[in-house]
Amino acid sequence: MLSFLVWFPLGGVLLLGVWPKSMDPKYARSVALGVAIALLVWTIYLAFLFNPGQITMQFGEFVPWITAIGLNYHLALDGLSLPLLVLNSLLTLIAIWSTDPEIERPRFYYALMLLLNSSVAGAFLAQDILLFFLFYELEIIPLYFLIAIWGGARRGYAATKFLLYTAFSGIVLLASFLGIVWLSGASSFAYEPLRAIIVGAADTPSGLSLKLQLILMVGILIGFGIKIPFFPLHTWLPDAHVEASTPVSVLLAGVLLKLGTYGLLRYGVGLLPDAWVYLSPWLAVWAAISALYGTSCAILQQDMKKVVAYASIAHMAFILLAAAASTELSMIAAVCQMVSHGLISGLLFLLVGVVYKKTGSRDMFFLRGLLNPERGLPLIGSMMILGVMASAGIPGMVGFISEFLTFRGSFPIFPVQTLFCMLATGLTAVYFLLMINRVFFGRLPDELDHIPSVQWSDRLPAAVLVALIFLLGIQPSFIVRWSETQIAALIPYHPRPPQITSVYQPDQHLTRNSIDVLAQSISIRAAD
Amino acid sequence: MVRRTGPRPAAYFNILMTILSCIHNTVAFQQVLKQPPQQLMFQWLQVADLNLSFAIEISPVSVGALELVTFISLLSQVYALGYLEKDWSISRFFGLMGFFEGALAGIAISDSLILSYALLEMLTLSTYLLVGFWYAQPLVVRASRDAFLTKRVGDIILLMGIVGLSSYGAGLTFSDLKVWSESIALPPLTEALLGLSLIAGPTGKCAQFPLNLWLDEAMEGPNPAGVMRNSVVVSMGAYVLIKLQPIFSLSPITSTALIMIGSLTAVGASLIAIAQVDIKRTLSHSTSAYLGLVFIAVGLGQVNIALSLLLTHAIAKALLFFSTGSIILSTNGQNITEMGGLWSRMPATTSAFVVGAASLVVILPMGFFRMMQQWLTGGWNMPLWLFVLLLFVNAASVINLTRIFRLVFLGSPQEKTRRAPEVQWLMALPMVTMTIAVLLFPLMPLKWSLWLSPIPSAVVFNQSSIPHAFPMMIAAGVIGFGIGWRMELRRALSRPTQFYLRLMQDLLAYDFYIDRIYEFTVVAVVRLASQFTTWLDQYIVDGLVNWVGKVTLLSGQGLKYGVSGQSQSYLLTIMVGISAILWLLLREDWPTIIDYWSTLWSTVLNQ
Repeated sequence: MLSFLVWFPLGGVLLLGVWPKSMDPKYARSVALGVAIALLVWTIYLAFLFNPGQITMQFGEFVPWITAIGLNYHLALDGLSLPLLVLNSLLTLIAIWSTDPEIERPRFYYALMLLLNSSVAGAFLAQDILLFFLFYELEIIPLYFLIAIWGGARRGYAATKFLLYTAFSGIVLLASFLGIVWLSGASSFAYEPLRAIIVGAADTPSGLSLKLQLILMVGILIGFGIKIPFFPLHTWLPDAHVEASTPVSVLLAGVLLKLGTYGLLRYGVGLLPDAWVYLSPWLAVWAAISALYGTSCAILQQDMKKVVAYASIAHMAFILLAAAASTELSMIAAVCQMVSHGLISGLLFLLVGVVYKKTGSRDMFFLRGLLNPERGLPLIGSMMILGVMASAGIPGMVGFISEFLTFRGSFPIFPVQTLFCMLATGLTAVYFLLMINRVFFGRLPDELDHIPSVQWSDRLPAAVLVALIFLLGIQPSFIVRWSETQIAALIPYHPRPPQITSVYQPDQHLTRNSIDVLAQSISIRAAD
Repeated sequence: MVRRTGPRPAAYFNILMTILSCIHNTVAFQQVLKQPPQQLMFQWLQVADLNLSFAIEISPVSVGALELVTFISLLSQVYALGYLEKDWSISRFFGLMGFFEGALAGIAISDSLILSYALLEMLTLSTYLLVGFWYAQPLVVRASRDAFLTKRVGDIILLMGIVGLSSYGAGLTFSDLKVWSESIALPPLTEALLGLSLIAGPTGKCAQFPLNLWLDEAMEGPNPAGVMRNSVVVSMGAYVLIKLQPIFSLSPITSTALIMIGSLTAVGASLIAIAQVDIKRTLSHSTSAYLGLVFIAVGLGQVNIALSLLLTHAIAKALLFFSTGSIILSTNGQNITEMGGLWSRMPATTSAFVVGAASLVVILPMGFFRMMQQWLTGGWNMPLWLFVLLLFVNAASVINLTRIFRLVFLGSPQEKTRRAPEVQWLMALPMVTMTIAVLLFPLMPLKWSLWLSPIPSAVVFNQSSIPHAFPMMIAAGVIGFGIGWRMELRRALSRPTQFYLRLMQDLLAYDFYIDRIYEFTVVAVVRLASQFTTWLDQYIVDGLVNWVGKVTLLSGQGLKYGVSGQSQSYLLTIMVGISAILWLLLREDWPTIIDYWSTLWSTVLNQ
């Protein structure tokens, strides 16, 4: 069942690899599209089979591999990975679809795309932390080539920077993973048994002391913090986005960054709960700083892609805030925010890509008046306005509900940090409005008089994303119901031990306990 | 068909829908008047301990508000058919109007704070798009941006308040909130902050100080949308405020803040309005002033008065804006100093203006006359300062409207007004309809239970807390009319020669320089912060990373010159390296080794 998601694209890679040179390389696109469609259909089928009410992992597949070091091929699915898996399949299809059909070296390109899809799916499904690590590292290779070969003018610089950063992230992660396994005395790298050892029953002390957990947590935070990325580990991202071609940007923002947050939730919150709870006030502060930093950097950018990239940094920070609060609500919010960010940033990068393709520029001080109904890009512009509004959190679209849940889930635990994050949301409108006003409003200058007409094939992927953003915004329970039961299992303690919540509590009356008491007293009064 | 007739069918379809909903509302209103209020609940999202449900209220008040929204929307859409006749993207306009109307109608019947918030945000978005309708003009672009951002500031603070309320365990329907606010005891600071954050949203929507400038700038948008904006949209912001009133009564700071904001805006905006030369802008400032009165009424807890104020103001202002739109279309100008003598050329427009103006002030027994009578003699608590403020607002409003009337309709015709014809029937019809509606408005039965709080549905007209209050109010109006009538009017754009007078006029004409204040505070902070972080990002954070990379590369570059190709030097390097390693490894053991060798040596020597 699940192996299909990993091995089928690899089969596609193989097919494209042994493709005879004599055949028209145009078919490479069809093959890749076919594979991507099959994957999406399969993922949706899986989602229908998936039982949201079940707490344990589903569709488990286990094949002993290198038992000597405790590494096994073990895939399974839960409510955290399912939405991300769907996102992965969907955005891969969209990325392949929106690739320029005349692209150079098509076989290699499409093979890399499929390889990327396969490794990301593997990482989301792996139930063995070493297996996760292998997929996590594998995904760097195709992405490096995708940026380095099909990128913009400074692609070499950007790709190398990306490679060095992520490779460093990989090393730190590996060190932490090995530390977690060896220090906790687990016999293998299997995730569930490991978690059982460390977390244990609610009342027994965990397998790793707080001090050890803190040391290991540093590695996890740096490793995934680079991937997500958080300030000050983010500088590879704007460069990579600017140089990457549109489909690669879509995948990078939409799916690959989610590997970081996924890892943070699964391995940070899941495996090192004591350290997580201990550090969480500072993590929330970090989230607020990162959000405000990304936001204020975005305001002054001149390149549309950079604006979207910094916006991405700001919005990913909300996931850290939600994870730091780690209430039931905020954990679900984190999943929602991942999905919503994937859809919205994917949409924005797609649209910027169309603008770039048609006008040859992404410079906000050059482009003007693109909303012109006759000679401009009116539909693309309208979708851009929608995407921007979704990102700014206008209700009715998926951005609002995930941000609302994030803030509502985190506020009882970290009110001040949450308020600062909300400030960042407010400022989102500032830079995106500047972008819309400069690029799409105003008079179309004469230099842009001959924009090639936009084809329906350019609009279709963006239109699909817009539809999804609306659908999930109006009916958010479609995301929530998949993850609700199983996310709850990841929460470190329920409820939090009071000595930890009182470490940092700016508003004393606002502890979670007091709110529970309040809620109870109200319900008692209501009952009376 | 679209190709042949242009985008008109979109407009017709939209108007048809609005007519249908208007008829439906009228029928529903008749029914609802006889029934107790009902609440419909729709479960939206249930996640963890959070339950978000949308509540719809069916009561005379909500259906009445709905009726008002659809009625004014219908009139302004018909009006727009005429006003935008030559515009090429009329279908976009009507699409946006539909969206606008939907959001407004939603707020009218919503009974849940989260739903109202969502709709207010949609209102923000549609205002942005409607103001930015003629997006090719630079002023429009600026106005739409400012409108969005100003409202957004209020909305975000409101969202903070909602998140806070919900975290403190309040349910998010208005009735739950009322129950909650009666049963809860929070620290005063928290209560005050919650209340203040909830005020912020309506402050932005109703264009109150310090978030007032967007309404003035938004006058760059098409006029039919301006009608909606100045009458219904601001009212809906205040409507949400009225519904939130139980929470404001939690903390005295909140009510004081409401009264402060309202009074400041009422006085300031009244003054600003008098100094404007743009006909739309001066009326929009007057909107802010009247909404200030609503804020004061809510701050005093007099929700019925607030509601009544809203309704009276909304229809009078809508009529004034219909009339203004006709003037603008016929003269192609908005500057009132360039107009004059329109009364004989545009009789319908003139009568609309007179009726609208008369029902906005307390002189003749029309809209505000009845309203004020109710407030002053209906047994409401009326502090002296408020009475003085009301006198002032009334007088200032009369002065301003008289001034506009003299400049636009009286006097000798000028270049722009010499050939101004009366507007075509598509615009005249809604304008005249509205004139009749405003004329008939005072006859609306006061026994209708249109009131939120259950206290007095029977209106008493003999309980006045200040003696002779009502005659004094009328007197203020008459004096204002006298001043406005006698006041010296400047046609040309000349400025007073007296220094203080000029200073005063500039101060008022440029809205107390509030935009400059923004420029040097909020905008400057954001700009400086972003400049700082961009610099930090480029030179420090990224610079550090690149520095590390460069150092690595450079050291590699340096080391490569060590590759000489001479095997002796390699050997030497290896030997030196090995001995260094050995020395480090054996550092601790040197004495032992030396001892060993010395004993060995001595034994060898001894033999």
